[in-house]
Amino acid sequence: MSDLLSLLSLGSSAIAAQNSGVAVATNNVANANTAGFSRQRVDLESLAAAPLVGGVRSASPQRLADDLLSGRIQTAAGSLAMSQAFADALEELGSGMATGGSTVDEQIGAMFSRFSQASAAPTDSASRAAVIAAARDLVAGIHRRSAGVAAARKEADARIRDGASSATALAKQLAAANTAVARTDDPVARDHRDQIAQQLGKLTGGQSRIDHDGQMRFVLDGGAVLVDGGRAASLAATPDATTGVARLEVVDGGNRRDVTTAIAGGSLGAGLKFRDQTIAQVSTQLDQLAFDVTSSVNAVHTANAGLDGATGRVMFTPITQVAGAASAIALDPGLAADPSRLALAAPGSGPGDNRGALALFALGSQAVASGGTRTLGDAAIDVVSGIALAASDSRGDATRDGMLADHLAGLRDSLSGVDTQEELTNLARFQHASGAMVKFVSTIDGMLGSLIDQL
Amino acid sequence: MRITGNRLIDLAAASTTKSQAAVATTTEQLSSGLRVNTPSDDPQAWLAAQRTKLRQAMSQGTGAAVQAGRDHLEVTDNALASLGDIVSQIRTLAVQGSSDSYNATDRAALGAQVRGLFQSALDSANARTSAGEYLLAGSASLTPPFDAAGVYLGDAAVRALPSDGSVTTGVTIAGSALTAASGVDVLPLLDRIATALSSNDMTTLVGALPGLDTAVKQVSSARTQTGGAMNVLDQTTSARTVLEQNLQQAIARFVEVDAVAAASELAKATQSLEISRAVSSHIVAMLAPST
Repeated sequence: MSDLLSLLSLGSSAIAAQNSGVAVATNNVANANTAGFSRQRVDLESLAAAPLVGGVRSASPQRLADDLLSGRIQTAAGSLAMSQAFADALEELGSGMATGGSTVDEQIGAMFSRFSQASAAPTDSASRAAVIAAARDLVAGIHRRSAGVAAARKEADARIRDGASSATALAKQLAAANTAVARTDDPVARDHRDQIAQQLGKLTGGQSRIDHDGQMRFVLDGGAVLVDGGRAASLAATPDATTGVARLEVVDGGNRRDVTTAIAGGSLGAGLKFRDQTIAQVSTQLDQLAFDVTSSVNAVHTANAGLDGATGRVMFTPITQVAGAASAIALDPGLAADPSRLALAAPGSGPGDNRGALALFALGSQAVASGGTRTLGDAAIDVVSGIALAASDSRGDATRDGMLADHLAGLRDSLSGVDTQEELTNLARFQHASGAMVKFVSTIDGMLGSLIDQL
Repeated sequence: MRITGNRLIDLAAASTTKSQAAVATTTEQLSSGLRVNTPSDDPQAWLAAQRTKLRQAMSQGTGAAVQAGRDHLEVTDNALASLGDIVSQIRTLAVQGSSDSYNATDRAALGAQVRGLFQSALDSANARTSAGEYLLAGSASLTPPFDAAGVYLGDAAVRALPSDGSVTTGVTIAGSALTAASGVDVLPLLDRIATALSSNDMTTLVGALPGLDTAVKQVSSARTQTGGAMNVLDQTTSARTVLEQNLQQAIARFVEVDAVAAASELAKATQSLEISRAVSSHIVAMLAPST
C-alpha cells in the first residue's frame, strides 16, 4: 500500500516536471519574436532511487545566454552606430556643399573665365558687369556653404544634447534593471538589462561588464562610470563658455567629469567627432579659401587700374583674419556699384589695356591658396572631396561593422534564439511524457482502488 | 551551428533588401544618366570631374576671349580694307591731278573729291566696335585716335591674348601703324594732298606721291598683320575645340553612367531580387506548418 502511494507521489512530481517543460517551451514560442529574448531550457533531474521508487524533478529554467557574447554585440553595435551616424552626417554635409546650384570651385572657375573674357574687351561694360556678377555669385556661394556648415554644426549640437538626455534616461533604466536582477534573478530581467545596455552602447559606445556580484557596470570611453549596479550617473550637456556648444559631463552626485573628448563611439561619438573635428575642419577650410580669394585677388586688383586709370582699389572688402572669413567675404560696395572701377588695365596705360585682366585670369592657375600650395579652384574642390572621402571611408567602416554585427547576431541567435520547430518538438515530447504519467497515475489509482475494495 | 527559423527569415529579408537597393541604385543611375550624383557616390571620380570642369571653365574663358579678339580683328580688318581702298583711290586721283593736262579748276574739283575721301578715311580710322571702342586707338580706346587733321592721338599699345599656353597673339592694331613710326603719317598725307589739289600746289602734290605708295604699303601691312593674327586665333580655336571635346568626354567618363554596363547590372540585380524573393517565399512556406 505504502509503495503504491509512493508511486502516486512519483507520478505527481513527474507530471509537474513534464508540465514545467511544456511551460518553458510555450514561453519560448510566445517570445520567439521578442527582441533580446533569450530562450530558456528546463533540465530534468532524476531523483535518487530507493530500492523501489525514484522519480524526476525539474530544475529552475536555465537562460541560454553568453554574457561575453552580449558584451561583444554591444561593442559592435556601438561601432556600427558610430560609423553609420558619422557617414550619414558627412554625406548630408557633402551633398549640401555640392548640390543646389554651382559648387564653389565652379563659381571660382566662372569668375576667372569672366576675367579672361573681359581681357578681350576690357572697356566693354557688359564684360565688366559679367565679372562683377560672377564674383557676386562666388561670394553668395561661399556664404551659403558657410551658413550650411553653421547649420550642420547647430544640428549636430542639438543631436548631442538629445543624445545626452537619452543616455541619462537609459542609465537610469539600466540601474533599475540591475536592481530588478539583484532582487529576482529573473531571466527576463537579465534580457531586459542586456537590451538597455545595448541601446546605451549604440548611443555612447561605452562598454558594460558584469561583475562577480552579478551587477552590470557601464563605463564610457575614457573610464567614466555611468552605471554602477543600482546607481546611475547622468550625462549632462552644458554650454561651453566660449563656443556655446554643448560639453558633456558625467554627473554623479557632486562629482562632474568632462567626457566631451573621451566619447569616441556610438551615435554620440559620431556627433561629437562630426561637430568638433569635421565641421571645425571644413569651417576652417572655407574661411581659408575666402581669405585666400580676397587677399590674392585684391593684391592683383590694387596693382592695376580701372577705366579712369586709378589704381589701389580692392575688388573684395579686405579681411584681416582667417577666422570668420567665409561669412565676412564681400564684394567691395564701390566696385559693385560701379563696374568701371574693375582694374583690368595695367597702371599707366589706357583703359583699353587688358594686362590687369590677364593678370587676374592668370591668378586662377597659380598656387595662391592653402599657404601657396593649391590653386583657389583646387582648394575649393579639396573642401568637398575631403568630406566625400571621409564619408566613403566611414561608409566602408559601417559596412564592415555591419558584417561583424550580423555575424555576432547569428552567434547569439544560434545560442539564444528561439526555433519554433525545435520548441514544438520539445512541447510534444513533454506533452507525451506528461500524458503517459497521467495514465501511470490512473493505473496506480486503479490498483489502489482494487486493493481498497478487497479490504 | 544552430540556425533558427527567425534567423533564416532575417537572412532572406536582408538579402531581399540588399537586392532591392541594388535595383534602386541602378535604376536611378539609368534614369538620371549619372553614376555619380553626389560626391560620396565616388569621391575620386567626383574629384577628377571637378578638376576637369575647372580646366574646362578656364579654357572656355580663354576660348570666348579668343573669339572676341578674332571678331575685333575682323572688324579692324574691314576698317583697314576700307581705308586701303580710299588711299588707293586718292593715289589714283593724285596721279591724275599731277598730270600737266589738268588745270587749276580740274585740280580743285579733284581736291574736293579727295577731301571727301579724306573724311571717309578719317571715319574708317576712327571706326568703333559695336560696344563703342575705337579700333585703332591702342590702349586709349575710349577716345577717337585721329583728330580732324588725321593726327594720331592714341598710343602704340597692342592688346594681346594668350593663344597657346604662354604664347600671346595681338588682337588689336594700334593706329601708330599708320604714322611716321611705320612709314608716313597716312591721314595727314591725305589731308595735304587734298589741300594741294584744291590750291593747285603742284610742288606739294608731286612731293607727296611717293608717300602715297608708302601709305598703301602701310595699310596693306597692317591688314597682313590682322590676317596673320586671325589665322593664329583660328588655329587656336580649332585646337581648343578639340581640347574641350576631350574634357567633356573625360567628365562624362568620370560621372556619367555606362548605359550598357548599367543595363547589365540592372538585369543582374533584378535576377538577384527575384531569387531572393523566391528563397524568402520558400523559407516562409517551410516554416509555415510549424507556426
